[in-house]
Amino acid sequence: MAGAVAALQAALAAEHAAIFGYGVAGAHLTGSSQAAAEQDWTRHNKARDTLAAMISARGAVPTAAQASYQLPFRVHDAPSAIRLAAYLEDGVTRAYLGLVAVSDQRLRRFGAMAMQDAAQRAASWRGSTQAFPGLTSPGPLAP
Amino acid sequence: MLLASAAALPLLLGTAGCRSSDAFTGPDPLAGRPPLGHDVLTLQAVIAAEENMIDLYRMAISGDSRPSQARTLRTLRALLAQHEQHLVRLKARLIVPPGPRGSGGNGFPPGAGGSGGSSPRVSTVTTSRLRSAERASAADLVRRLATVPPALAQLLASIAASDATHVTVLGG
Repeated sequence: MAGAVAALQAALAAEHAAIFGYGVAGAHLTGSSQAAAEQDWTRHNKARDTLAAMISARGAVPTAAQASYQLPFRVHDAPSAIRLAAYLEDGVTRAYLGLVAVSDQRLRRFGAMAMQDAAQRAASWRGSTQAFPGLTSPGPLAP
Repeated sequence: MLLASAAALPLLLGTAGCRSSDAFTGPDPLAGRPPLGHDVLTLQAVIAAEENMIDLYRMAISGDSRPSQARTLRTLRALLAQHEQHLVRLKARLIVPPGPRGSGGNGFPPGAGGSGGSSPRVSTVTTSRLRSAERASAADLVRRLATVPPALAQLLASIAASDATHVTVLGG
């Protein structure tokens, strides 16, 4: 139970970071890229709410978003914004990988399906796929 | 002295009312190779399915239905390379003692394939067929997560996520 809550909290923290990051990335994008970023931002907001509800249902307090996060590189134009979006999705994929290791079978499945969604978004932003999404990805943005 | 002790062991056990299985808690060396664990069997099935997937890609790249567009060919080769990486990583986790169990002397039981089924026999493998195979593979791997150790579950989930991205690249 404690392991499950910790893994859920880590996924929630990654979703908070992605929401912040997409806010930064979206400001440098236009047209279809901006629309895609907005769509993904919305998905991460929904995922945040889902995770927060799952954590509350287990009697714990959902971790709060930080005021700001450190970006892994300078984001100043569309290409760097797109790289940031891929980086964010990699971090989210890695965070959900933690859920796949818990003993609760439903949480394992939930984490695996969330990994697939994030890996697909990462591949879409990057323009290429990875052999081992999550396993070789960097972690989410640090506060 | 040692020989005398070994020869006397059954007699001693008999007088004590014990059978050899009561005296030794470890595996019986005369019982043959112990049955393979569930996670080993899962790994064998996933490896067989991955090999089938690789066969499919090779047929798509070089068979009768070989794509005419260079870009499509490049994409298929890139996805094939990732499946080959999956196979290497999966095989690295599998250590099976040598023995007669299975069909080919490689430790694999007959029909160990997962959702991929038996090796493809046709020479026409379309992108659509690859897409279906990738989708089925991702679903099969997720289905297997519930009953394997955490580290193997993470590897299978990662491969499933990779397969899911392949579905998208193939137009799914």
